Amino acid sequence: MAILEVHDLSAGYDGGFVVRDVSLTVEPGEFVAILGRNGSGKSTLIKAVQNLLANVRGRVVYDSEDVFRMSPRRLAAKIAYVPQLAEPIFEYSVEEIVLMGRFAKQGRLEKASAADVAAVDEAMRLTDVGSLRTKRLSQLSGGERQRAFIARALAQDASILLLDEPSLHLDISYQVEVYGILKGLQKDRGKTIVAAEHNITLAAAYAERLIFLKDGAIAAEGSPGETVSAANIRAIFGAEVDIRENLRTGLPEISLAAGERRE
Amino acid sequence: MSRKTGRRLFWVVCLAVCLAGFLLSVLTGPVKTTPGDLLRFIQSHDRVQAAIFIDLRLSRAVLAFLVGAALALSGAILQGYFRNPMADPFVVGVSSGASLGAVIATSLGFEAAAFGFSGPGLLAFISGLGIVSLVYVLSLRRGGFKVETILLTGIAAGALASALTSFFLFMRSDSYDQAVFWLLGSFQLAEWRQAATIAPWFVLCFVAAIWLAKDMDLLALGDEAAQALGCPVRRVRKAFLVMSALLAALSVAVSGVIGFVGLVVPHWVRILIGPGHRALFASSALAGGTFLLYCDLLARNLLAGELPIGVITAAVGAPFFLYLLHKKR
Repeated sequence: MAILEVHDLSAGYDGGFVVRDVSLTVEPGEFVAILGRNGSGKSTLIKAVQNLLANVRGRVVYDSEDVFRMSPRRLAAKIAYVPQLAEPIFEYSVEEIVLMGRFAKQGRLEKASAADVAAVDEAMRLTDVGSLRTKRLSQLSGGERQRAFIARALAQDASILLLDEPSLHLDISYQVEVYGILKGLQKDRGKTIVAAEHNITLAAAYAERLIFLKDGAIAAEGSPGETVSAANIRAIFGAEVDIRENLRTGLPEISLAAGERRE
Repeated sequence: MSRKTGRRLFWVVCLAVCLAGFLLSVLTGPVKTTPGDLLRFIQSHDRVQAAIFIDLRLSRAVLAFLVGAALALSGAILQGYFRNPMADPFVVGVSSGASLGAVIATSLGFEAAAFGFSGPGLLAFISGLGIVSLVYVLSLRRGGFKVETILLTGIAAGALASALTSFFLFMRSDSYDQAVFWLLGSFQLAEWRQAATIAPWFVLCFVAAIWLAKDMDLLALGDEAAQALGCPVRRVRKAFLVMSALLAALSVAVSGVIGFVGLVVPHWVRILIGPGHRALFASSALAGGTFLLYCDLLARNLLAGELPIGVITAAVGAPFFLYLLHKKR
């Protein structure tokens, strides 16, 4: 049975809907990437399915419960979110950030319980930020910061992880590192992962199913082999590319056909 | 030094300095008194000395402490609220709005007192809260409001209120002396009644702020992230805005506009003990109260007459703030 069902979802901000009539389902333990151009609605969709937007229409069901009727606290126990990487403002330490993931499980005046400490330690171990425990966010590299925020989402103990462009602003080594951690969480921990991603080759290498958005609607959906085609990239992104198979993995890769851009 | 040890050290030092400040406040004034006089008074309960020590001096020290604590707490809340360590009660227009109310009252000769406030104090309180409500309503949009919109609307509304304040001062320059009390702040007219009026509200806001401190930590990393972690963002934001406005408006109503406490104190405390809001709220309140207690001592003793306390807080606060900024780089 699907863990997340989206029925005719339209969602957006003050100015109107960005995502229009999207329906999709996510199975437990799946790794799904949502792809599309800037402004196609990837981030909007990721936010809307966890009830973070006020301007929504349609229905989202998590484990047969209506997401739009759940309190933030209840939802936080089911769905964890890794937002787009932002500049930190105050000097919280990595440990303080990860402990914030336990908010929904604690009373407001309670100190961290043994269970909280164990969950925080486990989350930091899985993302390999244990050695950065007392470091401030501003002292971390982009990749380390992203790992700290993934650790915070893991500390929530939710079964599904939603990520908004986890590779944005990261060097290629960190991109691979972050996706490697996500793949490990899926494989070893049975987490369901849904990530908005702009890098098609990266998504094709780690996700089992790709969903392409164009102008807020689903334009293509399926395995990387089925969906990453020159025709699809032309139709969805307006870019002329060649698709090759990776010699080692057999996964599709995009190679640019320089000088042949079309509008 | 770990943050925990740092916090403990901060509390011990701050409490000691604070108690010393209370003692100094009770011992200094126009009538010369010695620690011996105070000891004898505690044993004998002389009536004249009771008037000096308890009614004149202790009431003033308690009020200065409460106002300092309220302003610093208000500033700490707003800095978290706006995710900006430069925010203070001026940015949402409370202070400018309250000045306007006080100046209107003094220039129109509005003296009716109520609820332990003087006429200008009452009008300052009402107009301070009025401006924040206006700013809030103007910032509302379909599907919630943006923090940035509130910030900019607050600055604009504050500027407008300042213009009107200047206008009233210009038109009724005869009320200028009285208006200075409200524009630069003073505890000259301190009474127990005023302390009793604001104390319960301060305690209420303080308890609520501590109760919601973890929520504020989450808000520091973005509204959507905070909600995804389980924080009821809209309700929490509303509660914090009401608290910070109430604290600032109450302070202005009893002592006039006192700048820099709400900006410098939480900023400095955050550098010392870290950004965690539960400790930050409590420590800012303690440090803010202590800071204003000493500023009031200076205001009373630096010159033969009394200086407005806003002059002292700005003169001490601004260089200190520059030092903090410089040190950080």
